Amino acid sequence: MKRLLLALLFVASPLFAAEDQVVNVYNWSEYMPKEVLEKFTMETGIKVNYSTYDSNEVLYAKLKTIRGDGYDLVVPSTYFVNRMREDGMLLKLDKARLPNFQYLDPALLNKPYDPNNDYSVPYLWGTTGIAYNSKKIKPGQVRRYIDMWDPQYKGKVLLLDDMREVLGMGLKVLGYSINDTNEKHIREAYEKLRELMPNVKVFNAESPKVFFLEEEVTVGLVWNGEAYKAGKENLDIKYVHPVEGAALWMDNLVIPMGAKNVDNAYLLLDFLLRPEVARVISEEIGYATPNKAAMALLDKDFRDNRMVFPSQDDLKNSEFQIDVGEATYVYERYWELLKVGRN
Amino acid sequence: MKRLGRIGYLILIYLFLYCPIAVLIVFSFNDSQYSLSWKGATLNWYRVLLADGQLLRVALNSLMVALCSATLATAIGTVAAVTLFRYRFFGRRLLYALIYVLIMSPEIVMGISLLMLFVAIRLTLGFWTLLLSHTTFCIPFVVVTVLSRLSGFDRNLVDAAQDLGASEVQVFRRIVLPLLMPAVLAGWLLSFTLSLDDVIISFFVTGPGFEVLPLRIFSLVRLGVKPEINALCTLMFGLTLVFITLSQVLQKEKR
Amino acid sequence: MKGDLWFQRVSVGTTWFWLAAFALIPNVMVVAASLLERGDRDFIRFALSLESYRRLLDPLYLRVLWNSLYLAALSTLTCLAMGYPFAYLLARVPRRYSRLLLLLVIIPFWTSSLIRTYAIIIILKTRGVVNNILLWTGLIQAPLELLHNDLAIFIGLVYTLLPFMVLPLYAAIEKLDPLLVEAARDLGAGWLKTFARVVIPLTLPGIVAGSMLVFLPALGMFYIPDLLGGARTLLVGSLIRNQFLAARDWPFGAALSVVLTAVMTLLLLVYARSRRLAYRGDLP
Repeated sequence: MKRLLLALLFVASPLFAAEDQVVNVYNWSEYMPKEVLEKFTMETGIKVNYSTYDSNEVLYAKLKTIRGDGYDLVVPSTYFVNRMREDGMLLKLDKARLPNFQYLDPALLNKPYDPNNDYSVPYLWGTTGIAYNSKKIKPGQVRRYIDMWDPQYKGKVLLLDDMREVLGMGLKVLGYSINDTNEKHIREAYEKLRELMPNVKVFNAESPKVFFLEEEVTVGLVWNGEAYKAGKENLDIKYVHPVEGAALWMDNLVIPMGAKNVDNAYLLLDFLLRPEVARVISEEIGYATPNKAAMALLDKDFRDNRMVFPSQDDLKNSEFQIDVGEATYVYERYWELLKVGRN
Repeated sequence: MKRLGRIGYLILIYLFLYCPIAVLIVFSFNDSQYSLSWKGATLNWYRVLLADGQLLRVALNSLMVALCSATLATAIGTVAAVTLFRYRFFGRRLLYALIYVLIMSPEIVMGISLLMLFVAIRLTLGFWTLLLSHTTFCIPFVVVTVLSRLSGFDRNLVDAAQDLGASEVQVFRRIVLPLLMPAVLAGWLLSFTLSLDDVIISFFVTGPGFEVLPLRIFSLVRLGVKPEINALCTLMFGLTLVFITLSQVLQKEKR
Repeated sequence: MKGDLWFQRVSVGTTWFWLAAFALIPNVMVVAASLLERGDRDFIRFALSLESYRRLLDPLYLRVLWNSLYLAALSTLTCLAMGYPFAYLLARVPRRYSRLLLLLVIIPFWTSSLIRTYAIIIILKTRGVVNNILLWTGLIQAPLELLHNDLAIFIGLVYTLLPFMVLPLYAAIEKLDPLLVEAARDLGAGWLKTFARVVIPLTLPGIVAGSMLVFLPALGMFYIPDLLGGARTLLVGSLIRNQFLAARDWPFGAALSVVLTAVMTLLLLVYARSRRLAYRGDLP
């Protein structure tokens, strides 16, 4: 009996040992190259505990559940930075601790969702458009969102498991803004999307590219970086900015209020702002970096890739995603109805 | 002819049960990143797996929780079983019912109920919440295992001991426990395996700093079919085989 | 002995404390939460409301519940249909093989169902084993859509839960006295009658136990529809999970859980009834 207790204590002892330096990161899936974190650990000795989510809503709910205590660095989209800021969930950033902040493109700073960037640091930005398998679908065959409604794509469509993206697409197809707060318009978008449902095979935001690579779907609403990554592994997978107007978004690094390893979080944050590091992140993950110095370092082919860096023409009718405030409840209601209802 | 049909049916079902896993194991040795066509044998994926530091840490976490919760559950469960069997006390029937309800309870309901409890009492989600949760869902299994052995118990032994002046504690330690040992160990092994494999309850009650293996596998699997995952699953399957063999050996000794 | 009462008190006390703290109270909390309102910035606002149950009665959600029950029931019946003959044959196998053969059923039973679900993905996906074989033999021209739909979930459930049906069935069938079967046949009963009148009723507890061990997990296991299902399927397990994961509607999630628990309690009562029926008074 005594021996059993001793054995137990022995096994459990790592629990009581002094913790080495860690930083807990919660990020979108497939949104950070492994080698970047490994380099960070090598340089600073700080271990990175990395876990992932696939939507802002999951991030928000998780932070609420654990009361901000558990993660040191998280990556919400702009409209959620707004909300979390107002909820007092974010730590005010001390810019003096972020010397590499200077490398960021001023054109992307000091926006209404976070004046002066008191709470957030831009990480990556991108667009949401249409990816397709050019072996099954001729280039030019799908140029608009509404093309996906065609019955020939029955059971072949992938949609992002993201409330704002999908309802935004519905709104755009009807000519409304993706940030529309009018309940009538949102309901119309919902009705329109219901017509699409027979074509939809799966909702996925975790790793949409897998469904393209495994040939489970041939066309879908995805983020440009996903299409880029898929295209690297299978040259048939292409991306197009829809005529109705692709959505524009930006993800930001923030430190939750209640984080335990704030110092380590600052170290990691500053590390990620290094031009060389930002360059690696951008080229590996396939999204555009807001880091001006990093942009100058980018590989030429990558820099010219319109999938990642769309032209003015590509963005003709595009809009930036912003917080819709109270209308969020309306969006949530119709999103739930869309997911629950069968066709 | 009928005999052939019978054997054939048995084989068919066995094939059904084992084919998918066999495919998994075979392709963990396949020297190809993507396709399912055989490109030669390799141990590469196992090497990649064992080099993954975070994965090993997560596996260790799972092991820690399983060991601690199995032991705690066995301790509490054995005491509970003996208590239910020997003593008449207030609320005995209710306790019996509660235990059976726990076994039958859908795991997802247990998961969210414990989450609510921990959030309400502001307990940080992590190792301790996992320990408490895993212990809780293992206890009923231990109780049932021990109770089934107790039902074949010879009361005369206890009576004789008590006639000779032994106290309750002594009776428990010297007579009851040794005779129950095989069931207790079986209960421990059962709890250990249940804890190691648990996905649903862990999903709700674990916290950011403490990940467990099944959840890690779950998030890996969602990113698609990859040979490293095949290797991981093969290793886990091998571990299961080891445990089953162990429990079979224990059962043999019971006789 | 003075120590005796103390020992007894501690034993009873520990048992009671643990189960009350971690089984009774949390479940009471769930019921309570289902009767409260959804909070704005927090999860729950302490105001009584039947809103969650009202939402449940919406035909959309009732359909989700119905689909889940239907899929679980279908899986259970399939497992029963596949598993009963299997268990019966297993029980009739000569002694020297039965140990090994039983072990071969226990192994998948103990293997993590997550791993087994993953194995099914490899089999069913568009570029998976089944499609590759069918395409290679020329039986089909284009790959079949076997994954990310109800069919895949059904296959996944049956595959994962079959051992859970077989083992209790085996335990019950093994106890069946072959002489009873023989006696019935001697008295002139055909195979069907023997089965219906003798075998089935005597193995009923095994049937019910196996069915419950399949039906209940089939309702709550959200990771199977998660991995194998598509957009068109929403089952109650995933629905509950979503309330706590993303939708932040804890009262609604609690209400769904209460319904699930109610279904389970109903089945438990059926089980208790069946045991009484099987033994007709002389309980073991």
